[in-house]
Amino acid sequence: MVRLLRTELLKLRKSSIWLLIFVSPFLSLLVGLGETTAGLPEEEYWLTTYQWMSFPHAALFLPLLTGVFSAFVCRYEHVGGGWKQLAALPVSRGKLYLAKLLVVCLLIFYTQILLVAGLFSVGQWKEFQVAFPWETVAIGAFSGWLACLPLIALQMLVSVSWSSFAAPMAVNVIFTLPNILILNSETYGPYYPWAQPFLAMMPHTETESFRALHISMETLFIVILGSLMLFLFAGFTYFIRKEI
Amino acid sequence: MNDYIIETNGLTKKYGSTYVVNQVDLKVKKGEIYGFLGPNGAGKTTTIRMVLGLARPTKGSIHIFGKDMKKDKLSVLKKVGSLVEYPSYYGHLTAYENLEAVRILLDAPKSRIDEVLSIVRLTNDAKRPVKGFSLGMKQRLGIATALLGNPELLILDEPTNGLDPSGIIEIRELIKSMPKEHGITILVSSHLLSEMEQMATQVGIISKGKMIFQDSISTLRQRSSSKIRIKVSDTEAVSKKLLSWGYKVGSNENYIFVENTSDREIAEIIRKLVNHQCSIYRVEEEKKSLEQIFLELTGGEASL
Ligand SMILES: Nc1ncnc2c1ncn2[C@@H]1O[C@H](COP(=O)(O)OP(=O)(O)OP(=O)(O)O)[C@@H](O)[C@H]1O
Ligand SMILES: [Mg+2]
Repeated sequence: MVRLLRTELLKLRKSSIWLLIFVSPFLSLLVGLGETTAGLPEEEYWLTTYQWMSFPHAALFLPLLTGVFSAFVCRYEHVGGGWKQLAALPVSRGKLYLAKLLVVCLLIFYTQILLVAGLFSVGQWKEFQVAFPWETVAIGAFSGWLACLPLIALQMLVSVSWSSFAAPMAVNVIFTLPNILILNSETYGPYYPWAQPFLAMMPHTETESFRALHISMETLFIVILGSLMLFLFAGFTYFIRKEI
Repeated sequence: MNDYIIETNGLTKKYGSTYVVNQVDLKVKKGEIYGFLGPNGAGKTTTIRMVLGLARPTKGSIHIFGKDMKKDKLSVLKKVGSLVEYPSYYGHLTAYENLEAVRILLDAPKSRIDEVLSIVRLTNDAKRPVKGFSLGMKQRLGIATALLGNPELLILDEPTNGLDPSGIIEIRELIKSMPKEHGITILVSSHLLSEMEQMATQVGIISKGKMIFQDSISTLRQRSSSKIRIKVSDTEAVSKKLLSWGYKVGSNENYIFVENTSDREIAEIIRKLVNHQCSIYRVEEEKKSLEQIFLELTGGEASL
């Protein structure tokens, strides 16, 4: 497993795709810098900026990135006949699939870290006087990452099954764009997997005792874990049985 | 137990309602160079994909090194190097990095990369991205990758695809040297008999999914019965004369053919013709080429 990850990282490092982890945090940084916090009580400076920055990031870029990264880690296998070579090597297909998933999870994780770093820089630039709300922000970023996992699992399945690059991207965009509408819906929002990264990153004002993460337990278990299990199961079953 | 390196029993693959591979019993012994021959679309690649575990057989069993591929796939694949149809590569990596990516998975020593690069003579291009490689160079890289894990069994599907004549000779010599130097067993497929003739020790011929011949190359050669052709001044008259003497001869406008004869009979024919004042210009032996046998076996639809 370690060897598979090393190979995947070697292939990834030499392609320039991983540089995309900077795009969304950078754009969010610009949003953060552009927004004014004037008229707000000083204690809310950080969280308001965080919410401004999270909106384009989590509602749009994060779900899109899960698809872009998944498609790319499969693309160089599709193009150069790499699947065939990997399948004839002494590595289990299940572990190979898992390694691909983990690499994408890692990239999304780095993206989240960069977003937090971006928020911190905005605060430094604007010389916020209050302390950085580490806990809320870190938990928000981590919850956002958790909420991306089902999307990664689905996009990986789509990317593995279609050798064209356009197909997984189309699926990705088709499901992500309605986010903008669905996020505002109290009824559908909590159940739409593509809306989860945004919902998860938003801190909740009401204090519920079981909200350790910024996700309600119901959402966590039913929507996130449920869809993750479903997509993972489908992906593994498909890939292990696939004729190459 | 037997000593077959590859043994398939009743191997069958059905796509839709067509049998692409039908009841194939492939038997490859240790140290052989097994030439797997067949015209385009005969089912060679499909058979090889099943042998390597890339595709699932519809029916039949596969044993490699005496182990069942269904159960011991990974431990078998550790000792198998392969190149199926087209070489696999990562265009954005250099040749060296391509090999490194596979080396990590095989857990082979790093020094092995330089060894295989020099075997296929790519050492000087090792630091270039593979997307700029010619087809022949990619093919060599593919062979280098197959050799990386010091395999005991090498499975090469059309390894000379896209190579120029000197590249073909080079790869052929390389393949021929391996069983001798390293005790490797090789299964190599091709649709060109002429190519196999120069390296294979065993041949299996597949046509429309069925194995129609499987034996040593010398057995295949023995099928190439020879005939003697004689060029004389007046072909028609002489042929009539020979027939009237009771010899079974055939003829066209240039030659007289005598099939399956002993040296004595030929000597007798020549002596009689000389005595009858015929001018004999040439007496030649015409061997049926392996290509012709191949065509006959595969029903004449082979592409050669
Ligand atoms: N996945 C598939 N689905 C349907 N038919 C297939 C599939 N793969 C191969 N075939 C068919 O199986 C037949 C044999 O193909 P195969 O690639 O094994 O031939 P081959 O002997 O390797 O030919 P070539 O010399 O051209 O490489 C072909 O008629 C092909 O169309
Ligand atoms: Mg083929």
